[in-house]
Amino acid sequence: MQQFLDGEVLNSAFTVGYRNLKKNMAAINDLNVFPVPDGDTGTNMVHTFGGGLGAVTAQKNVGLYLRELSRAVLLNARGNSGVIFSQFIRGLYCGFENKETICFADLAYAFDCAREDTYKSIISPTEGTILTVIREATDYLTANADKFDDFKSGFEALLGCMKDTLVRTPQMLPVLKEAGVVDSGAAGLVCFFEGMYAYFCGLSFDDIDEIEFNAPKGEISASFGPDSVMEYGYCTEFVLQLMNAKTDISSFSKDEFVKPLESLGDSIVAVVNDGIVKIHIHTFTPEKVLEYARKFGEFVTIKIENMSVQHNETQVAPQKEQVKYAIIAVASGQGISDYFYSIGASLIIDGGQTNNPSVDDFLKAFDSFDAEHIIVLPNNSNIILTANQAAELYKASDVHVLPTKSLVEGYSALSMMNLWCDTVEELIDDMSSGLSTVVSAFVTTATRDTNIGGVEISKNNYIGIKNKEILICDQDRFKCATELVSNIMEQSEKEVIIVFYGEAVSEEEAKCFKDWLEEEYSLADIGFIEGKQDVYDYIISLE
Amino acid sequence: MNSFVVFGDSTCDLGKEMREKYDIEYVTMNYSIDDEEYVASLDWDEQGAKKHYNLMRGGKRVFTTQVPKNVYYDSFKAVLESGRDVLYISCSSALSASINTAILVAKELEEEFKDAKVYCVDSLISSLGQGYLLMLASQKRGEGLSAEETAKYIEENRLRVNQCGTVESMEYLRRAGRVKASKAFFGNLFGVKPIIISDIKGQNYAYKKVKGTTNARAAIADHIVDAADGVYDTILISHADCEAEAMILRDEILKRAEFKEVIIGYIGPIVGASVGPGTVITFTFGKEVTIEGNE
Repeated sequence: MQQFLDGEVLNSAFTVGYRNLKKNMAAINDLNVFPVPDGDTGTNMVHTFGGGLGAVTAQKNVGLYLRELSRAVLLNARGNSGVIFSQFIRGLYCGFENKETICFADLAYAFDCAREDTYKSIISPTEGTILTVIREATDYLTANADKFDDFKSGFEALLGCMKDTLVRTPQMLPVLKEAGVVDSGAAGLVCFFEGMYAYFCGLSFDDIDEIEFNAPKGEISASFGPDSVMEYGYCTEFVLQLMNAKTDISSFSKDEFVKPLESLGDSIVAVVNDGIVKIHIHTFTPEKVLEYARKFGEFVTIKIENMSVQHNETQVAPQKEQVKYAIIAVASGQGISDYFYSIGASLIIDGGQTNNPSVDDFLKAFDSFDAEHIIVLPNNSNIILTANQAAELYKASDVHVLPTKSLVEGYSALSMMNLWCDTVEELIDDMSSGLSTVVSAFVTTATRDTNIGGVEISKNNYIGIKNKEILICDQDRFKCATELVSNIMEQSEKEVIIVFYGEAVSEEEAKCFKDWLEEEYSLADIGFIEGKQDVYDYIISLE
Repeated sequence: MNSFVVFGDSTCDLGKEMREKYDIEYVTMNYSIDDEEYVASLDWDEQGAKKHYNLMRGGKRVFTTQVPKNVYYDSFKAVLESGRDVLYISCSSALSASINTAILVAKELEEEFKDAKVYCVDSLISSLGQGYLLMLASQKRGEGLSAEETAKYIEENRLRVNQCGTVESMEYLRRAGRVKASKAFFGNLFGVKPIIISDIKGQNYAYKKVKGTTNARAAIADHIVDAADGVYDTILISHADCEAEAMILRDEILKRAEFKEVIIGYIGPIVGASVGPGTVITFTFGKEVTIEGNE
């Protein structure tokens, strides 16, 4: 029985909530009330929360964890519902700010804060939306939260309340009622809580089905132009309110109504209920269909879509590249990224020390290939974790994350890659062959005064790092770099020295360093690459 | 006088001394630098070779052309007129289309000289690998085999000449389109050496990567010694202006097996144009090659 949650458990519950949200993303997108398709609420909520979740690491303290998370979710917020969702998480953080762990009863106060934050964020709050779900859940919790002493039973009741609100959203918002759907943002929030509830019931990641992604939307202008041929007609849907002034509603016959439509189009679906007619038809002459229908009543909604556009969009949607192996590396710096592409990386995810890619970034990257095997080369330890998490979630390909802890190790693996290997094991063996011996060295600027391992470090001086250990601090970058290399070479003579020099390093300085290396280590293979990376002025691989 | 004349071409990389020792002729291809055309002679001295490769190092591009028809015609005709047959062992057809011209010329000449024969055999290799097949042909001729028997022997044994080497940069092979390799072998891979063999179709095939020069030497020596299959007769090493590296590689090989003879020579201008300076290639006779480079 889960009486108390810490930040780590909360993170797990959120993750399953997120996964359920994601699982239902397409369905949420389809809860579309507008004549023009713009249904991307699901996608926006998924990106908003997924982006945040991927950017933080779980930690025990609930308040501290939520502070990080709410910030990250806000930074990733997209779309109307995404922003409200991010305000909701921010509200939870305000409510739990000083909590190390939480019990179910604590939710009442947190939800109250969340309700306040979300309503404040919208200029004219509309009822019958995600806002209403939050508001009614808050009311429910205020009255009942202290009756539950564990999260499973508490969430069961909370979820019931939220679902109850959700099904009533069409009654509160006419546009929903007309379209016959529930509110998409509200549905997204309920999916999220449904996932959390599943977590408290003891279901794990694996109990939730595969993720499905929406196909990217093409540009309409690109697919239907002045010289296009109208091949497929219009998908025409409307809801018609029968009018007493126009027809005798009590004797209205669906079959008789539909019969003339059959000469105007096909794929006809007709529903008649309580004086309301809903029609779906594919036709080349929608104007005639509407003209005919209007003889019986007035339209509540009309949707007409050019199916040639839809057709072309599926045609122009980029084909996924079908490959045996796809190699995805994480790197930052335009120069490094270009270089990695040139030596055979299939895709570079931008990321590094200050910019960890999210699980979702990885999943998207995985999904851009139709690959039998995907090999991921992270560039720091946190990213290894994220990549592993993404690999666990992804089912369409066999994903292998090599534990490359730095760009240097990623390079080592990439440089040894041979895509002709018959088996992925062979490929991984080749790619891993240098990992145990390669030394990663970095030169960067110290951000504060300190003393680490006997090295006196002054802020804004340059520090030379071997793997994770700071060896040198000097105010001169060139001296710092040369001493760092000397130090490493003294311990074990390396044959290959590759330097990725960063944005801050001038061509002249790089050349000086190169000349020095060539003079000092004439037997070594020396390579210089304009990495254009920030943070590290020099990233040096010694192998 | 020999009953037939053995011809190679500009890619066989046999120097004058070797050609004289084995009585081997060769037909010449051409190359051009800065629109200036040169005959691809294998008789350059060390100074000439160094100068040539330094031009390449400086970024000069070398363009090569196949053996011209008239060169085949004139060279083979002179032999037929002396009453002897011709056995021509060409550069791998995967690397040069010269042999197609040779086959045409052979037909024409055989019409002209009713009793004469011109045999054209695709060596499926180049450089000293092709050179070694020419030496073998010469030996067989010495043992009394006819041109036809020798041609048959070469055809049956050509895949037993193994090649294993490395280049300083894959760029030359890529530009010349004379290598099978996945994209991952190209680009500027500092410190990573591709190991290149000649496959069953006579294509250069980068089949493996090795980190660092030391490891590359070891990989090449291991491969070629294994290919010799326990019979350690001859090792041939050709290089594009990196004799010191060829020597180190020789020592590395001799550490593993005591070959009776080691032949070291310059890679000529034609092969040199498509492999680039700093290339070193070893050859030996032994196991039949079975690897085929992937598409």
